Amino acid sequence: MTDVVFRETSAEPRTQAVPLSHLSLELGHLYMEDFEAGPKRLGEHFAEVRIWVEAARASAARRAGANRPRISTCFLIDDYFSRFSTPAELVPLILKEAEEAGLTIDYLARESGCAVADRIELAESVMHRLVESPPPGSYGSRPPVSRTGWLANGQRSPGRGAALSEVTAWQPPQETAARNHSVFMDVELWSDKDGRRLWSCPFLAAVWQLARLGLLRHLGEPVLTPKPWDGGDFPHDWDRLPPLLQLNPEADPFSAYRTCTLMPNRFLAVEDAVRLVLDQIDVDARALEQVDRRSRGERVEVPAAVAQRASYVFYEEPAESSDEGT
Amino acid sequence: MAAPGQSARPVLVCGEVRTCLLPSFQALDGRAAAQLLRLRADEHVRVSERPNLYVLSPEVLTGVDCRLPTANGARVRAVGTVAARAALTEGRVLQATAYFSAPATGPDLRRPWGQYLVRPGLVEPFGKLPEQATAQGVLRGAGRGELDLGMIAEGLLAGLLRHPLLDHKAPFKSRRTHLRWTARRAPDGEGPALVRFTLAEDGLRSMELRLPADTPAAAAAGLCEDLALHDWLLTTVVHMLDNSRLGAADGPSAVLALRPAVDHLLHLWMPRAHVDRTLGHLWDELEREPGFSRQWHSLVQRIRDQLAVQTIPLLHQALSTR
Amino acid sequence: MLIFAASDKGGTGRSVTSANLAYHRALSGDDVCYLDFDFGSPTASAVFDVPDARQAAEDRGLHSYLVGEVGEPVRVDVWADTEHRVLRNRPPGSGRLVLMPGDLSGGEFATDDDNLRRCVDLLLRLNSEFDLIVVDLSAGRSYAVDMVLEATSLPEMRGVDARWLIFHRWTRQHVAAAAGLVFGKRGIVAGGVARGHDEDALRGSIRFVRAAVPDPKSALWSQVSATQSAWMRECDRDLKQLASSHGIGYSQVLGAVPLEPVLQWREQLITDEDVLDSQIANMETWQALSDLAGRLTDDKYWEQA
Repeated sequence: MTDVVFRETSAEPRTQAVPLSHLSLELGHLYMEDFEAGPKRLGEHFAEVRIWVEAARASAARRAGANRPRISTCFLIDDYFSRFSTPAELVPLILKEAEEAGLTIDYLARESGCAVADRIELAESVMHRLVESPPPGSYGSRPPVSRTGWLANGQRSPGRGAALSEVTAWQPPQETAARNHSVFMDVELWSDKDGRRLWSCPFLAAVWQLARLGLLRHLGEPVLTPKPWDGGDFPHDWDRLPPLLQLNPEADPFSAYRTCTLMPNRFLAVEDAVRLVLDQIDVDARALEQVDRRSRGERVEVPAAVAQRASYVFYEEPAESSDEGT
Repeated sequence: MAAPGQSARPVLVCGEVRTCLLPSFQALDGRAAAQLLRLRADEHVRVSERPNLYVLSPEVLTGVDCRLPTANGARVRAVGTVAARAALTEGRVLQATAYFSAPATGPDLRRPWGQYLVRPGLVEPFGKLPEQATAQGVLRGAGRGELDLGMIAEGLLAGLLRHPLLDHKAPFKSRRTHLRWTARRAPDGEGPALVRFTLAEDGLRSMELRLPADTPAAAAAGLCEDLALHDWLLTTVVHMLDNSRLGAADGPSAVLALRPAVDHLLHLWMPRAHVDRTLGHLWDELEREPGFSRQWHSLVQRIRDQLAVQTIPLLHQALSTR
Repeated sequence: MLIFAASDKGGTGRSVTSANLAYHRALSGDDVCYLDFDFGSPTASAVFDVPDARQAAEDRGLHSYLVGEVGEPVRVDVWADTEHRVLRNRPPGSGRLVLMPGDLSGGEFATDDDNLRRCVDLLLRLNSEFDLIVVDLSAGRSYAVDMVLEATSLPEMRGVDARWLIFHRWTRQHVAAAAGLVFGKRGIVAGGVARGHDEDALRGSIRFVRAAVPDPKSALWSQVSATQSAWMRECDRDLKQLASSHGIGYSQVLGAVPLEPVLQWREQLITDEDVLDSQIANMETWQALSDLAGRLTDDKYWEQA
């Protein structure tokens, strides 16, 4: 009865699994302003991060139970919103500062890889997976009151009515999951300028989280997969640097059940927006199932909701940044 | 704190299938069909070429937070996602299905949205699900503000019909059919059963199933799509025969009116071609009574006979002019 | 095929005439759907004599559909639901005749992207189901006119044939107004071109229908004095000249409907019984409607002048 004689591969697409660590630990996010502040500033960051890394590792070890905790570290460089320096100049500098702080960067990623990696439009695909949280009263009419390019955690203040006669007083926006009072948030996902789409920082960061959680697939194949580094020189052009580079050959797998991101507290609003986005993405069901099965096999509890799998440590910026201004 | 995904075993699955002729002059080949049904750039469209060309889209979700349709007027709020998918058979008949599963009980509070998204196609009631009343309510159709499967299926269908691949020059005019279906959980140890299939007016059909707990909702949807497809074929060809006024109108013009059936429909009859193996035998009920295939073969025979009869004068003509 | 019925002013008999055209086509075997887009004053349920439709369309009509309040607008099967004694007996060989009423309470509304998309979805869907779809638009350059001009300009509608009928009475004012509605600065052609319609194609898809035309040769006027008769003929000639100078001369006219008391006063469908048995309506009217109905899809009448 269960023996199937005839098969058609195009009728039964497969989804490839990715190896998984317990924790993907992000040691930092480098923007141009950080770079411009000089290597010393970077060193300060790593020195601060180092303290929290220990805590994150301890937490992961506790969750891993009897297993050896598999933890991989990563570092993200912005080459999407602004281009600065070259990999040849910058990467060795970062590695040196990290090493001096006693940190190992296992994987190095470029932010533009979250938009397009290996000619696959990752951000675009993720955008098509947005399923907006329905405000009460949504019974199946097509996209509720969506405003193209924006995503909210509730209902916006009604704009001018479509009916010509209607004149309505202002009504407040409302958070769908509000307890007594609303904390309403509306996130810009992209902007279009001169025919080019610019993805917003929170949206790309949401793609980055999905990659770290092993939940991205393109036609069943994993995407943004790490390319090994041969130990040679880094290229002089960002585009020639793989979007995700494995610097440490001994590293645990890049993707993990959970992520922990260590970043200065000025990113708090951005990352709150990232959670808002993650909470409304219908991720690849088979990828989700693979993580589920795998983690249960290892007796590791993973939160059901994807956004819950991401945790953060927001630390105080090194002092001189505020002195120097921008 | 949060209930893990597995605890919410559905006791009820409800859906609606809308079936129509693809509004295109020519049938789409497999590649074009896959392009049409590529609802997501990053997910495969399933393409099956045996025993006929059948293309199935990935599923897309619609979030809902509203009352369930209930036959007894009980007001039950429910939150979750409704799954929708589209299928194209032989590049000619397009179907859109919206369906959801519901567990017997749900929490009294709305959860964070992400928790619903990881259980696609599940709609949770606040408190206890009035199973019977909801099943009947779905079959009767949604009232205002109630979860509207028809609207979700229609939304998907309308989006597909706007696709640039379609020229809206269908070879003939035809009506859609709507099939509403419910599947309640069969008592433990019992197999799947088709309880009732009702043919109502205006192309509306309804179907009640009993399915074992381990039957995936998608398999139930597949069965219903298959039945809806064949019911649509019967409906459409019967209508075509009616309109041709076979017997009343003069022979050649009546036969001309039947030509689209020959060109586009007669080869589509293939019950249970893509139905889950555990559910295929439910077709037997409809074959026994009223006899879906029996009616189809009779229609086909009638059309072929008419074509044959019409060729006799031509034959005479050809012979006499020799 | 889509037929849009428009007029600059009220009182042109647009609704009642286009409803009669729909009826004639259904009689001849086509499946026909009649859409009441006259949002200000929906009249179709009265014309088809389906009082139930008024109730049904209280809040589920086309207006509610277009603004997104209901998933599908109400459909009324005219043969089955009419209270009209004659219409109730659906003749053998006739096609379906379906009315989609407007809402009683629905006023005009500005077209936004969502309304427009729903309009397109509806027209595409009906096009696959019906041979002929008659859309009765509110008078003047209304939002309804804008919406369908916009809808038919979209690429997804390119495969759907659409034609326009402009109804006007046979008076100096009405002739000028009808020409203005089509060719004026804010007219249908200009509005269509601004939305991406090809000007020649759009012009070629517009024809005029002269309504309530007194025919001096008709029996109705046989009793008038010679002076009156001469005067009538002169006026008629002047009007023809005026129409022609406004660009809506003979080649742009699909047909004329004679002045007919039944259409003017009762605003109902004229059945063969009205003409043959009770003889309250004129044979000429029946014939004119029948000719017009046939010409809707006769390409000969729609070739570029």
